[in-house]
Order: sequence, then C-alpha cells, then structure tokens
Amino acid sequence: MDAQATGDPGGGQPWGPHNTVTVVDPSPVNWLSITWNTMEEANRVDHDGIGQPSLAESWRWLDGETLELTMREAVYQDGEPFNAAMFKLGFDKVQEWTNPHPPGAFLNFARDVTCEAVDDRTVRMRFPGGDSAALMKLRGMHLPSTRFWNEWGFVDPKTGSAEGHW
Amino acid sequence: MLTEGVSLIDSRSDRVVMEPNPTYWNPARRPTVRIVYDNVIGKAEGIKSVAAGDGRVDVVFDLTPDEAKGFPASDKGRIQTKKAKTILTGVFNENRPESPWRDPEVRKALNLAIDRRAILDQGAHGYGTVIPAFIQPGRYGADPGMTPLPHDPQAAKAVLEKAGLGGRDLVFVSSPAWKGVVEAIGRNLAEIGLSARFVSDRGDLPDDFDVKLEWYFDWTPQYPVACVHREFFGKDATLRQGPEDPAFDALYDKLLHATGEDVEGVTREVERYVQDRSKALFLYSPFTLFAVSDRVAFTAYDTCMSELAETRIKG
Repeated sequence: MDAQATGDPGGGQPWGPHNTVTVVDPSPVNWLSITWNTMEEANRVDHDGIGQPSLAESWRWLDGETLELTMREAVYQDGEPFNAAMFKLGFDKVQEWTNPHPPGAFLNFARDVTCEAVDDRTVRMRFPGGDSAALMKLRGMHLPSTRFWNEWGFVDPKTGSAEGHW
Repeated sequence: MLTEGVSLIDSRSDRVVMEPNPTYWNPARRPTVRIVYDNVIGKAEGIKSVAAGDGRVDVVFDLTPDEAKGFPASDKGRIQTKKAKTILTGVFNENRPESPWRDPEVRKALNLAIDRRAILDQGAHGYGTVIPAFIQPGRYGADPGMTPLPHDPQAAKAVLEKAGLGGRDLVFVSSPAWKGVVEAIGRNLAEIGLSARFVSDRGDLPDDFDVKLEWYFDWTPQYPVACVHREFFGKDATLRQGPEDPAFDALYDKLLHATGEDVEGVTREVERYVQDRSKALFLYSPFTLFAVSDRVAFTAYDTCMSELAETRIKG
C-alpha cells in the first residue's frame, strides 16, 4: 500500500491556516495511515478498535466457505458510481500479485479464492476450505475508482511492480 | 483526496496534503478540513509548536512517555492519551541452540522477576495498562480468566540460578524510547542479583543479547492473532528470535479454519498458549500519546493509525 498525489480537484475553496490542520506523524507506517485516509475498503475499524461496515454495508457467511457482501450505494469523488463491479475490480487487481501487501503474506487471499459480482450491489466470495481471516484481509483490500487504477495503481514506477507495494 | 506528496515505505516527501471530500457518503466521517502531514519540522519542534500555539502544528503523533511528561504547561495545547491496542513486550533471544531462553521455565522465571506495575510507573510515567499477555482485558479474544503473571522474585531467582544465569548482566535491546523501561527492569533484577544493560536498537543487533523490546499494535477488525501473535511467533514472523514453533503454527492454522463463535474461542486459546509457555517477557500495553493544539478537536483511533476524517477545527 502506498499513497500518491492524484491531482488537485480544482475549483475548491481558498485554503489557509483557518481551515488547515497540520500534523506531524513520525511513525514509519504513516504511509498506511495516509492510505486509509484516502482510500476506502469494504470494512473499517472504528475509534474503539471494532470492525464496522464501510463500502460494504453488510455481509454474511452463507456457509463455511461463502461470504456474501452487500455493497453500499456511493459515488467516488471523481463522480464514478461505486458498485459490486468495482469491488470485483479491486479483488482482481490485488490477486494479480503474489505478495502485494507490505505487512506480509498473511493478508493475501489464497489463489483459489473467487469473487463474483452477482448484481450491482451483491458480491459473493468463495474461500475453499474456509478462511476466518477474510474480513481482516478485506480491510487491506482498497477499492479506488477506475481513474486511480488507470492513472496510478499501486505499481511502483521505479520497479514496475506492485509486489509489496499495495 | 490526496493532492500533494507521497508517503512510501522507503521515502516520503516534505509534506503530504489531503483535501476533504465534501460529497463523502457518511456524514459522520465527512472531512471538513484540509490535512497537511509536515514531514520536515520534526517531532521535538512540533511539540514545541503545539505548546506555544504558534499555528504551525496542530497534532503530533507517537510521543514517548518522556516527551509527554515533559510537555510544558500551556493554555494553547495539551497531551491526549489513548488506550490503544498496543503491546510493549520482550522477545527472548532463542537463536542459539544452547540459549537458556529456549526453556519455558527460564522464560517464566524472568517474567516472575519483574514487577510490571512498577516498571510502567517508573519507566513510562504510568502511561499504559498492565495486561496478561498480548490482548487487553475486555477486548475481543481476551480470556476473562487470565491475569498478569505475578511478581515472585524468590521463585525467579531459584530458576535463573539453576539455569546458570545467576549474577548475569542481561542485555536488553530496545528503542531509546523505552530506555527508562529497561532501567526499571534493571532495578527489579538487582533484587535477585542480576542486572539489565540497555543497548539501543539503532545499531546492529548484538548476537549475545538476551531480550529485545518490541512495541507493536493491532489494526485489525477483531483478528489480533494474525496481526500480533503471528508476527512474533508464526513461521513467517518478522520479530521471532528463535526456531519455528510448530505448536503455535498448528493453533494459527486451527484459527484460520474456525467458524462463527469458535474464532474467538481459538483466539483465547492462542493467548493462553502464549502466556502458559511464557513465549515473551510480558510488560504492558502502552497508551498512544499525542500533543494536540486547543484549536482542533481530535479523536485518536485504537488502531494507532492517524486517521483524521473526523478532525475538526473548533468554533
């Protein structure tokens, strides 16, 4: 995971100290905080450390291997609608890489995990053999707009690879 | 939306700028302010700025206990604390086959030698909570029946002497932020004829160290074992200082294949295993500490992430 500038939206209000908060975050993982400030995922973790729905408004296990998620109706900042197909796109992108997450392989989905956009709002994921870590892994699977994938993605321009760079 | 700067694992620009998204779907988390990460000013200068109220810095993250304690009296800023999902723990050096720390009884003895409350109070100004192992009481996966290991210096002394550690100057590697903690441990060890020597982790790790202090945090939605326990003891652990532990790996595999309420049950089982085997020198859960300007309303996250969507300018 990393974060990069994606261009000023333009036309905004004039900024100054009156509406700017300046922070100093010396953490070696502030890249992760910035990613979670600027990306969104199916689920998140609240102030009290409890998992909460985010771009998925709900989910349920249909059986020990099948997770069904209902996506929220939302619109990206660039105007593109979010739907189940965008979730599927995020899944397909992360699965292109062997080990995309800097924190480690424990965040990887197994290679045989599948994802289907059943309709505009419904996603069905299959985890052969089960995976109780699925929701933790979804917290690390970012769901940006098509513009992000087309113009930036998580590929490191220096190496041409997104391994360890998601 | 990120409009300026980068923050990568190996580099970051002088500043990172995030503009608010006024159309965000969740009104409770709809940002109202522009956020600037200043990567130049530095922590010490940032803390001074918050205390002085000069407007250059509003929030400084990750203060050490000494930095928080030393925050000057100010009507412009304050220290905020958060009981986050953190641990400060000691990793035993089990790298060498003859290491005494491969023996669970010896590891337990060092745990019995320390007074966690005193270490927290003397070494970290009380900024933290004593916990049984890696999970705070009341959190997901905590075992209500578990308590911190007791302080029993005489029992500790007998075992440590039998293991050939009597009179030893034990080498503790840690961040300079925890030097006071190592010194407090040393005062405990002095009661039983041992001592603790602080070695900064800013240099090469010496082969002959005994314990390495690690601060770690759990960012997960109720899945602490993968994030924390595995990182210390799993076969792919980055913080492990010894051989693989097939029993731990089997428990982790059991967790991955658990379903429903069994997931929390196995999480408790892992937590008990870690304490029963004294897999680490258990210390405490440090608070996360922030210097915050009075012009902003800031609520920290238990995950230790600097998520700022709800940060507001007062008034």
